[in-house]
Amino acid sequence: MAGLKDADDYRDGERFKIPALLQLVCLAVGVGGTLLFFLIRILKPEAAGAMGYSWLFAVVFFLSLAVGGLFWTLLHHASNSGWGTVIRRLMENLANVIPVMMIVALPLLFSFVGFRDKLWEWFPKREAALVEATKNAEEEKDAYIASRTAEVEKARAAVDAAKKDLADVASPSPGHRAHLERRISDLEKKSAKLEKEDLSPEGAKQTLVDKNFLESAALLFNKRGYLNESFWWIRQIFYVVALGGIAFILRRWSVKLDQDGDPKWFRWMRRWSCGFLPFFATAWTFLVFDWLMALDYTWFSTMWGVYLFAGAALNSMGFLIILLTLLRKAGYLKNVVTMEHYHLMGKLMHAFVIFWAYIAFSQFFLIWYANITEETKFYLTRNTDFWNVYTITFLVIGHFFIPFVVLLVRQVKKLPLVVSCVAGWNLLMHALDIYWIIIPERGPSLTADSGHIAMTIPGAWIYDILAFVAVGGLFAFALLRILASASLFPCRDPRLDESLNVVN
Amino acid sequence: MSNSSSSSNELFGYVAEFSSASDLYHAAEKIRDAGFRRWDVHTPFPVHGMDHAMGLGKSWLSAIVLGGGATGSILALFLQFFTQVTLYPTVVQDKPTNLFTIPAFFPVTFELTILLSAFATVFGLLALIMLPRWNHPLFNSPLFAKFSNDGFILVIEARDPKFKREKTRELLTEIGAGKIEEVNY
Repeated sequence: MAGLKDADDYRDGERFKIPALLQLVCLAVGVGGTLLFFLIRILKPEAAGAMGYSWLFAVVFFLSLAVGGLFWTLLHHASNSGWGTVIRRLMENLANVIPVMMIVALPLLFSFVGFRDKLWEWFPKREAALVEATKNAEEEKDAYIASRTAEVEKARAAVDAAKKDLADVASPSPGHRAHLERRISDLEKKSAKLEKEDLSPEGAKQTLVDKNFLESAALLFNKRGYLNESFWWIRQIFYVVALGGIAFILRRWSVKLDQDGDPKWFRWMRRWSCGFLPFFATAWTFLVFDWLMALDYTWFSTMWGVYLFAGAALNSMGFLIILLTLLRKAGYLKNVVTMEHYHLMGKLMHAFVIFWAYIAFSQFFLIWYANITEETKFYLTRNTDFWNVYTITFLVIGHFFIPFVVLLVRQVKKLPLVVSCVAGWNLLMHALDIYWIIIPERGPSLTADSGHIAMTIPGAWIYDILAFVAVGGLFAFALLRILASASLFPCRDPRLDESLNVVN
Repeated sequence: MSNSSSSSNELFGYVAEFSSASDLYHAAEKIRDAGFRRWDVHTPFPVHGMDHAMGLGKSWLSAIVLGGGATGSILALFLQFFTQVTLYPTVVQDKPTNLFTIPAFFPVTFELTILLSAFATVFGLLALIMLPRWNHPLFNSPLFAKFSNDGFILVIEARDPKFKREKTRELLTEIGAGKIEEVNY
């Protein structure tokens, strides 16, 4: 057919040269903003709690874009796709910002920064409950051992007495004998049960700690297998290794393929991606459990992971569309990417607008209908004050109805500038979605002990914007560096020919 | 080369065979440029970009589907609001009976939207391609039957304003048709 492109003409790839000024601006904004943010943190210790939420908001927003990039890379390989080979490197590059974002997230994880205990109250509450339980156990220990020992002795004495009863009867009838034997056996069982308890000082103390912990903080006691610091740290390491490691290795193989053209890399990427997908899904699901759902440890939703995943996939596709348009405006990928690719990406974005709405509504719907106190909490907070109008305006109308209707039109998806504008709108709504997830917890959490629960912390929005700009600068800088470190598309991929000439 | 196995002698059109999808694609571009309206291509598998080569505009089907979907949404919301809010306010699980009970109506609205969209797609498509019908003159052509095996077939109908018995035949030969068959009604 006329005008078919030959992949051999593109085998040298295309290298991105970072505009020096842009790189400098990104670095200055990122580093400067971060320094300013933590300077304020040091100078205003009382703002530490509010600032933790700001930093979490910024980190989660940009991390979700990078994680979405990883998802699209994995999906492209696992589904053996050919259409997107020319933009796959952009997905891989986006995914490789994950390790950078994990470093940016470090201040959230170390308690000495002052963010962690304010964000995730289960840390201090669990600590306090345990200290209290241990202190009381220490005090009650001796009395407890004494009373339990007395009970054991009493039980043993009862067994002896029953045995003596049996011996005292000269010639019991069979019924009488059976009755007495049964009584002995029952008493022996009771005594054995009591004797089994560990009444050493350590054993008794542990029993009392558990008992006191359960009584003072039943939820934290019952969730102790998951919500404890050592397991929490293991999970954080798992997130970094799973998400960052998969992103790194897939891009590494892909770049190797650029260099030596050995199809084994292509086969490896395809084969391993299917195995990586469960790890990706587990890591992201539990990451948002630990970072976002745990903002209120008493609340839970089983759709939480997929809700955050839907937002990440949708908006990283939007981000890729914008990135592609910017690169093409700067003169890159002009012959490689066609309107067909835009159309396909626009369609995927449209699909995920619907998927996001489907998941978001399902989560709300189940909780709203069942009307169980411990579940409705989340939506009640977000239905209070201005959050009510915020939810309906930005999430229901802005995040779903507007992009849904606009993207129905085919021509919108084929015009790079128009579809980029829609993608930009989606990104804004995604930021507002993440804001809506994190920030409503801030007021109630930080003012819980003050007697008057406030929905907002006055002036804290400045930190939100500052954190967003700072993390955004670091994100952009990292992405620019990664973009420039290899060809902008996998130039020797076996599927390049198919992707160059894709028609849908 | 021309033969026909039909009952009447009124010409339906020409059936021309091409040797590959690529040849057919280029032939379609030329027929499009020659300004024909009543013609079609038939291939054993979908050929990407053929709609463009044929100069086909956007199908009206999406508009019909949009209409079906919108009807479904409005109908479902109307039925539920009218019966459960207006006519006989029904309190379920302490939920309000006003506009804010709308989440409860979403599943049905969603389902009916999908259902009527699907109906509109299927029946709209059948209407647009004018099915069902008892027979089609093309079934008179043995050459045409090859499209479901290994034939790349182009059909020009005689009712096309540009159709000329001799000139169209010459055009088809010129653009690389192998076999050309006349088909009668």
